[in-house]
Order: sequence, then structure tokens, then C-alpha cells
Amino acid sequence: MFDAIVIGSGMSGGIVAKELCERGLKTLVLERGRKIDKAEDYTDWMQPWDLPNAGMIPEEERARDYPIQSQCYALGSANKGFWVKDSEHPYSTPRDKPFSWIRGYHLGGRSLMWARQSYRLSPMDFEANAQDGHGADWPIRYEDLAPWYDHVERFIGVSGSHEGLPHLPDGEFLPPFGLNDGELLFKQAVEAKFPGRKVIPGRTANLSKATPEHEALGRATCQVRSFCDRGCSYGAYHSSLSSSLPAAEKTGNLTIVADAIVHSIVHDPKTGRATGVRVIDANTREGRTYEARIVFCNASTIGTAQILLNSRSDAFPNGLANGSDMVGRNLMDHVGGLTVIGVLPGGPDTTTFGRRPNGLYIPRFRNAGEPADFLRGYGYQGGVFRSGGRTAALAMPGIGAELKARASHIGPWTMFIGGFGEMLPNPDNRVTLHATRKDTWGIPIVHIECALGENERKMAKQMIVDGKAMIEAAGGQVVATVDDPGPPGLAIHEMGTARMGKDPKTSVLNAFNQAHEVPNLFVTDGAAMASSACQNPSLTYMALSARAAHHAAEFLKEGKV
Amino acid sequence: MNDLDPMDRRSLLQRALVLAGASVALSACDALTGTGPAASKLAGEQVELLSAIADTIVPTTDTPGAIAAGVPQAFDTLFSEWASPDRRKELVAAMDAIDRLGGVNGFAALPAEKRVALLTRHDAAALTPAPQGRAAPGGMLSVGPPVTDPGYAKLKELIVVLFYLSESALTHDLEWEHDPGSWRPSVPITPGMRAQGSMSLF
Repeated sequence: MFDAIVIGSGMSGGIVAKELCERGLKTLVLERGRKIDKAEDYTDWMQPWDLPNAGMIPEEERARDYPIQSQCYALGSANKGFWVKDSEHPYSTPRDKPFSWIRGYHLGGRSLMWARQSYRLSPMDFEANAQDGHGADWPIRYEDLAPWYDHVERFIGVSGSHEGLPHLPDGEFLPPFGLNDGELLFKQAVEAKFPGRKVIPGRTANLSKATPEHEALGRATCQVRSFCDRGCSYGAYHSSLSSSLPAAEKTGNLTIVADAIVHSIVHDPKTGRATGVRVIDANTREGRTYEARIVFCNASTIGTAQILLNSRSDAFPNGLANGSDMVGRNLMDHVGGLTVIGVLPGGPDTTTFGRRPNGLYIPRFRNAGEPADFLRGYGYQGGVFRSGGRTAALAMPGIGAELKARASHIGPWTMFIGGFGEMLPNPDNRVTLHATRKDTWGIPIVHIECALGENERKMAKQMIVDGKAMIEAAGGQVVATVDDPGPPGLAIHEMGTARMGKDPKTSVLNAFNQAHEVPNLFVTDGAAMASSACQNPSLTYMALSARAAHHAAEFLKEGKV
Repeated sequence: MNDLDPMDRRSLLQRALVLAGASVALSACDALTGTGPAASKLAGEQVELLSAIADTIVPTTDTPGAIAAGVPQAFDTLFSEWASPDRRKELVAAMDAIDRLGGVNGFAALPAEKRVALLTRHDAAALTPAPQGRAAPGGMLSVGPPVTDPGYAKLKELIVVLFYLSESALTHDLEWEHDPGSWRPSVPITPGMRAQGSMSLF
């Protein structure tokens, strides 16, 4: 019998485990994938010439095992072990509504491969549903979460600049990775031409300067290599493996069981409480049950929906804590992939040193100072950099000495900016259990039905228009645009399938991420999100996780759960 | 689990390097014992042809070229381990087309200047924008119109990518440090300074 079970060891589960363990709770973390051996599985030691097959996964293997995962920019031959094989972990979608579900099943989950961009939601974001009537009103406001953002930022380490923007609140930042001269040129032009818009250094969970708290966990200052998605032997970016699980382990209260696939959560109708978690051993396929006083579900947005929906009983015939029928609904991602690429001729006669694991950020300005013909808004991530090397070599015809000279030459400042837009909650965008198909372990696979709506399509168009205008404002020439948002899922920001809300009839979780209908069940991964905002969401999941874990421990102490 | 100090981390990296050496040796053994797809390696004369093509696209100048950088061997590995059967056919067809430029004795038998002249023309024609063709390779930043001969474009891309990922190119042609250690956002450009190497487009 544990005090707490945390289902999932990724971004949010890691933080829950840390916070619960630090409050003295004997905590079991269940991970469906394998444990990671850093010495063997991290490949950040590889030089470019060590990359198997020049970083590429063999074509037949890629087509067979990674048709979906290979749509993710970060998948390569040196880190393919951090992604699931689609051939082993199927899900279904309607033919005309593809959804790209990008995943990794191993200890630490996607915290190993995430892009580390870390932004707070703002007061405006927590009020958006109430303002325009889409989705359920958040049961909390920015002020409720602000101290937990502080707490998480200090722990994980977020580099960033203080900007004083109401719609992108500042945080407890490590020094920023400063903008380069090309980016400063762009910043100056955009801010002059479009008053109110800002170009700022990205806020990233890389230790630009490790603090003693980080060093105590064996973490070190970022070496500016940009091999992050191969695992970092310096522990210089936040992942469950570099930060949260080591902190949890230090308390002596943590137990980790890997290769344990959660089948369902056990519910006792007499007490109205969750009593434990049924798992299936990934290797032996044997079933067993773990018991605990509280259960946190952090299996990731779609995984959490799957577990709740599969936890059916007489008391909850449609899935645990699903009296509202909102479990699985309101699946959101960000409207992403909309990119404008340009060249800034001229520009300062400088270059950069180091491969900064970060770029620039343009906070939202649509419906935040500037009008729009759609609801909500978007921000941009991007960067300005000197072109050269193989890209320059292949940019035009030509061979021989000319090609080599072109590649070695420090080329013009080149830039890209890509929009990330808010997707409205829509109950028809949903995850259900497949009626007949089961996975290798006998668990119904998920069926995902999700599509962008009219608001998202309008937004996507405007992202390109605004992106072009900003590059041109800096004297840039737009050379290419990617104006198709592609299938949802590829922003890898899925959320919303067990939303927080004030009303148990229309939401799954209350203001403490506690299931309205099962008081000792908490969900603090992306599933909890009542709206998506346009900021990269992991920091918010972590802040919600720390806050909910704090309250869960208090409730336990008070005998309330 | 993660209570290593920075010195331990460095030694861990050293260990990982040793382990890597071991795994490279193991995969070489696989090939020797015939468990690898040896049958799909380039034939001897194809290696000679590929070497001539690679040497023409990336010749020795004031820095070593593709041959010294080991591109033909690396290409052969890609050919057998990475390429699909369709890709192999496409690459062989692209190489054969170049071979025919050399007449009866083939492309590899031509003197270097002749190879350069013929392949320059072939390259320009093959990479001419073609409305019905496939997009040129090279990734997002060099996305251009589709080209006339996508097979040649792929062949060239693989040769060029392998060259600029090589230790030779990252020593002589581009700036490369595995562990830069710090970010300096503004560095004056001085004569002789080279472009940065990268494993990705950015």
C-alpha cells in the first residue's frame, strides 16, 4: 500500500512525484515504458560523423515502424529509441481526419525530447473561455497559479528576459540566451513598425547558469551544444531524468516500476474512492494491482483519457469520473507549422558562437492590442542565423570548388518564424476507445477524431500574412512559406481531454485538479487544460502538478480524501 | 539516479565513447559474418564510379575533398543500410546516367577536367526547375521548385551531406566544436572565418 500512485513519469508525473515525495508521501511511479540507461541511451557524445546513417532512419524501417513519429522534426537515427514504434502502438482516426500522435514510452516520457520552450499563461488566457463562451470557464485564475509557476521555474531552471508584458508574464528566470545581431535588427524593425509587438529571447528550460539547487541534483550549466533531444549528460535541460525524479528519489520515498502498462484505475463504489491501479506487465503480460490512498493520472492527454475511459464500472459505466461525458472530449493541439522563411540581406557584419538551444519569441498580439477576424491569437517562435554549410552547398546548382567555397562562406542572415495558435475547445474533437481493436496487452486502442475548425483556419492564414509583413519590415526577402497547418497533433501540445471547470456537469476536474466525482483522483497532465492558450504548455502542466500535489498532500493530512 | 558531479559526468562521457567504439566494432562484425545486407552493397565498379562522382562534386582544393573525407565508404553504408530497394534503383540509375557521360570507358576513366565540365552541365540540367518533378532536397531552407532529375538531386544531396558531416569537413571547411561551452551572440567576422557546421539545418 502506497500513499500515492502517479501514473506516468513524464513532464507532469515527474513533478507530482517530486512534490509528493518531498511532503513525505510514499509514492509509486508507474511507467509503461522501459527504464533509461543514460550511459547507453543518451547519444549526446556522438560527433556528427558518428551518427548512424548520417542521422537518418533506414527508409524501410521508417516507413514500417515510424510513419507517424517520423513527422516529428526531432526523430533521428541517434535517438529513435525515445519514440514509440507506430507499428507496435496503433491508434485509429477517421480517414479524412488524420491526427499525428507523437509519443515516447520510457522513463521520463517526452520530457526527454521536448523543445523546452517555457511560457506562462496570462490572466487573459484564464479568462478567455468566460469571455467568449467557448469551453468551460477555468476554475482558477492566473493569481492562483503564479506562485507555482515561480516554484517550478526555480526548480527546473528557465532562461529568459524580463519584459513586463501583461499577456506573457515574467518569471523566475536564469539569464537569457541573448538575441544575436540579426535578431536585434529584426526586433528593432518589428517593434518600430508595429508598436506593441515584441521580439524577445525564447524562454527555455536550459540552464544558462546552473544554481546550487540544480548542481545539488548533478546538473550543470548548458554547454550550448543543441543535442538536447539525444539526452543531455550534463543534465542541463529539465527532464524528469535530470531533475524531478532525482529530486524525488533523494527523499527515499520514491518507488519506480517501469514496464507497467496501466489498464485501469480501481474504484470502490462503497467509499467513492479510487483504491488502486491495475497494470499489465509489458513483458510478461501478467496483471497485478497496486493500492494507494490517492492516485494521480499523468499518462499524457490521450493516455489519461484512455485509462479513465477504460476504468469502467457499474458506478461509472462510461469511464471513471466521467459523469459529465467530458472525458476524452475537447482535445486540442496548437495550430502549428505555419512558417515564413526569409533572408535579411545586409545586416550587421557579425556572426555567433555556440549552438544556442533556443531562438526568438514573438508574443501574441492578435486580440491582444491588435484586432483580428478570429478569436484568441498566436505567438511565433523562430530564429535568425547565418546560413552556410551543407544547406548553402545544396541551395543552388553547382559543383566542385565553387560548391565548397559557397559552403564555407559565412552566408547571409537567414530567418524563420513559425506561428503557434490557440485552438478552441470543441467537444466533437475527442478521444474514444475503439469498439473492437485491442493492443498487444488487451487494452482497447484509442480512436482520435480531431480537426481544425473555422477559427483555426482563419488564424493560420493570418499567421502567414503577419509573418511575411514582419520579415519584410526588417528589409527581409521572404523566400518560402509553409502555409498548411498539417494534421493536428504535430505541435505535440495535445491537451483538454479531462478538463478543469467549475461545474461537475460540464467538466471533469475541479480547481485542485481533483476529479469532481472521485475525490482522491487527480489529473495534472495536459488533459486538465480548459483552454489551450497559444503558449507552449509544459510549464503550465508542471505548475498545475506542483499545486495539485501540494493540495492533495494537505487534503490527505486533513483526512479529506 | 542522477547524483553525479560534473567531473563524473565527463568520465561518463568518456565511458560512453568507449562503449560507442565497441558498438561500431560489433556492427562491423555483423557485416563480415553476412548478417547484414551485403548483397545490396555497391559493386566494385560502382564504388569506383561513385568515388569519381563524389570527387568531382567535392574535390580536393585547399582542403581535402570527398575521397579523403571517406564519403564513398559512408555512401556505400547508406546504400546498404539506409536506402530502400526503390531508392537503390534510383541512385544506381542516377549514377549510370553520369557514367554514360563518359562514353564507352565510363565517367571514372575521364580526366578530372573533363569530368568537371560534363558533370557541371549535367548538374545544371538535372537541377533545372520542373513543374511536374519532385521538390529538390536539402530541407526547408533550400526548398525550391521541383527539379528535372530528382534521382540525381538525391545522389548529390547524400554526397554533400555525408561530406559536411565528416570529420574532415568539420575540421577544414566549417567551424565545429562539439562542446562550445558558451553562447556568444555577437562575434565580429574576421578574414578566413568559416561557416558553422551543424547536424541540422539550423
